[in-house]
Amino acid sequence: MTRWLSRYPSYLLSAVIAVLALAPIAVLYYLAKGAEVYFSEETWRILKNTLLLTATTVVGSIVIGVPLAFLTAYCKLPLQRLWVIALATPLAMPSYLGAFTFYAAFGKGGELEKLIGLTLPRMEGLAGATVVMTLYSYPFVFLTTRAALRGLDGNIVNAARTLGLSLPGSLWRVVLPRVRNGIAAGSLLVALYTLSDFGTPAIMQLDTFTRAIFVEYNAFGLDRAALFSLQLIFLVVVVLVAEFCFRSVRENSGHCLSLQPSRAGVAFSLIPVAGIVALAIGLPLLIFGIWLKREGAGDFDQIIAWNSLKVSLIAAGVAVIVALPVAYAATIGKVGRFLERIVYLGYGVPGIVMGTALVYLGLRAEAEIYKASEENPEVTQFLEKWGLEEPFLYQTLALLVIAYVLRFLPLAVGTIRATLEKIDGNMVHAARTLGAGRSEVFLRVTMPLAMRGIVAGAALVFLETMRELPATLLLRPNEYETLTTEIWLVYEAGYFGRAAIPGLLLVLFSAIGLAIMLAGERRAEKLLLHQEES
Amino acid sequence: MPFNPTRRHFLRSAIGAAGGCMSGLPLMGLGQDAAQKLAGVSVEDLPRLKGKLTLYLGRGEGGLYERVIDAVKKRNPDLRLSIRRGPTAALANTIVAEAKMGLVRADVFWAVDSGAIGLVAGTGKARKLPDTITSQVDERFRYDNWVPISGRIRTIPFHTGKLKAADVPKTLSEIADSDLTIGWAPAYGAFQSFVSAMRILRGDEATKKWLIATKKRAKSYAGELGAVMGVARGEVDIAFANHYYTLRLKAGDPDAKVDLAFTNNDAGCLLNASGAMTLRGGELAQNFVRYLLSREAQSFLASEAYEIPMLPSVTMPKGLPDLADIHPPKVDLAQLADLAPTLRLMRSTGVL
Repeated sequence: MTRWLSRYPSYLLSAVIAVLALAPIAVLYYLAKGAEVYFSEETWRILKNTLLLTATTVVGSIVIGVPLAFLTAYCKLPLQRLWVIALATPLAMPSYLGAFTFYAAFGKGGELEKLIGLTLPRMEGLAGATVVMTLYSYPFVFLTTRAALRGLDGNIVNAARTLGLSLPGSLWRVVLPRVRNGIAAGSLLVALYTLSDFGTPAIMQLDTFTRAIFVEYNAFGLDRAALFSLQLIFLVVVVLVAEFCFRSVRENSGHCLSLQPSRAGVAFSLIPVAGIVALAIGLPLLIFGIWLKREGAGDFDQIIAWNSLKVSLIAAGVAVIVALPVAYAATIGKVGRFLERIVYLGYGVPGIVMGTALVYLGLRAEAEIYKASEENPEVTQFLEKWGLEEPFLYQTLALLVIAYVLRFLPLAVGTIRATLEKIDGNMVHAARTLGAGRSEVFLRVTMPLAMRGIVAGAALVFLETMRELPATLLLRPNEYETLTTEIWLVYEAGYFGRAAIPGLLLVLFSAIGLAIMLAGERRAEKLLLHQEES
Repeated sequence: MPFNPTRRHFLRSAIGAAGGCMSGLPLMGLGQDAAQKLAGVSVEDLPRLKGKLTLYLGRGEGGLYERVIDAVKKRNPDLRLSIRRGPTAALANTIVAEAKMGLVRADVFWAVDSGAIGLVAGTGKARKLPDTITSQVDERFRYDNWVPISGRIRTIPFHTGKLKAADVPKTLSEIADSDLTIGWAPAYGAFQSFVSAMRILRGDEATKKWLIATKKRAKSYAGELGAVMGVARGEVDIAFANHYYTLRLKAGDPDAKVDLAFTNNDAGCLLNASGAMTLRGGELAQNFVRYLLSREAQSFLASEAYEIPMLPSVTMPKGLPDLADIHPPKVDLAQLADLAPTLRLMRSTGVL
């Protein structure tokens, strides 16, 4: 046993991390036991809303994503790459920003009415949430479908046409069935994203699980919040399993189909693209711009931006360090791959669920330490010596970082593992032959070669942390407002204008993150393909 | 009784004091000594604050409380203030959860709603406040372990383009039976206290019926300012909200199509209070509370936040009708702490 562990220290580390990843679920189970009723009329209402929103969003994403994927995969268009990037950008924007600005823009007395004098229907409830969720999650379907289309051999279409099918006919009857898996994989990502989003249903006032958990948590129903969390996790697991089943089918690739649309065709196809990008990206920017002009920068405290940056940097750093052994373990054996799967659960746990569980864990740990230090002066001395005053864990940056790491670790693990797998094993063997020990090889050969993946993983975690809302709301230390909590505060208080600066900053950071990730790869497409895998 | 050992009705006293202000004779009926005492203490005469203090601050006041706190910080550069901001109800729940674990993390809790105060007082963690603090407010406002900082009244803001004040029903029952569209913020602590008051006054069954009937035409907002803004925009005809949201909105935009109406002698015009309590921090925490009761802070809250001052010597906010013309229900605010059945009721009706 000990020999096994010493050979595979990364297994041990991964196992510890995997257990930590499972801890929130165990906590929720413990908390939910106190709930009075397991299923009530309310549960069904929430379940119905959640499933309805997920279904409408998936359908909406397919309706938008699939035709656009066909268009950009097969038609020769001017500025091709720009189109693809533009259509993928909504993914880089947190959907609650969209929800917030849509909520303020539409409807009677909304910003759009003030601007153009036309009263548009209000964005709220199921319809509003569907529009917003679709606009910010269709890129999942767009990207997976496009990748599947690009991977197909174009000759099958030519063959079908030779046999007498029209072009649309052959696309429909020959190509579409072959990319079904791609569409399904994207749809499942959309479903996962919709299930775990908190801000959009909350702002659109649609009672889904995430919103119900937040309301319960704040209204003294920790047990009910935990119960709802477990029910939500169950849905997430179902989707995760489905996603896993839909993943691995690959076609033989060949020459990609290439069509030359007419000028009119290009112009015509530009309309939906421009419309979607204008709605998803342009409208929020416009609204923030209006607010900025009307209210000015106000008394925006720069510390808020700095807080966001700081905690995201720390989370990214910690996540990468923790991800390394897990990713390494996953490349060397079955046990490692199994442990990696468990860690992946974290990404499925919605932020609000993670927050609810960790608040309790932190409070509990804090109470134990407090008790121990009351009984033993040594404990107090020890804590003081290390500068660990009260708040020890609860309401500290540490707990917030733990939540982020547990949640976004899979992003880092995924990218790092991908680069580790690409490393030529001969390099490692050569180094070993030349007399380097295991750890030396890891530090001097493997690590530098994996650096690209490490940086990419860190960037992804950084971005996601920067945008995370519900767990941040529940876990942030006193006085620690971030861009996202500031936007939430402004929304709750009804002083919408003050969201301009934090909102724009968040968009800016997302854009910079996206640009860095694009620049990091030789070709934009590579990145896009990559995102689909993670 | 969890937190009101004197069992006095806050309500009666509040009307007494506030009504007195409006009539221009704030200190009417009090002796000379008492009058001097009730003139309030100036920050100039308060001890300097020095040390570490954790404040749990119930928000929803759009940054106005922050400005009071900023002023306190400015005067006391040696004060290391750590603030946890959040909805009052959420913070009260946090304190209760902490107390259950045997932890006390807040030195001072400044809540915007006395229901939340009562909830926290129920944990037994609230410290007794010295007489020198409680005696600053009128004799009838005095509680053992908390002190009211400002008063607020539940109101019915209405859209002036669609309705006249006379069109707004005078009771909650009539509102439920009307065909008016309604804005409300069920997650807001003051709204929950309002429902608690209705439960106390009319019983659970009637409250449940009222919630179900009203919900059909109600639109939920995240906060009460949002609900009032919804009225001004014409999204809904009327709303349920504390008085100052409308006054503040109108202060910023005098043409806003919203005005205040009041129900008569039911929970719709409940008189509630924000208040402060200390849970730790000894004299420093108490002295911090003194700042909140200072003449300057009280004047600011009345003139800028449109809240009803607790020091009778401070002028009432502008824009509020004569309080003598308003008929709040007789509710012991202490009972508003009994939030759990209210939340159960709101959940079972799908309001929350």
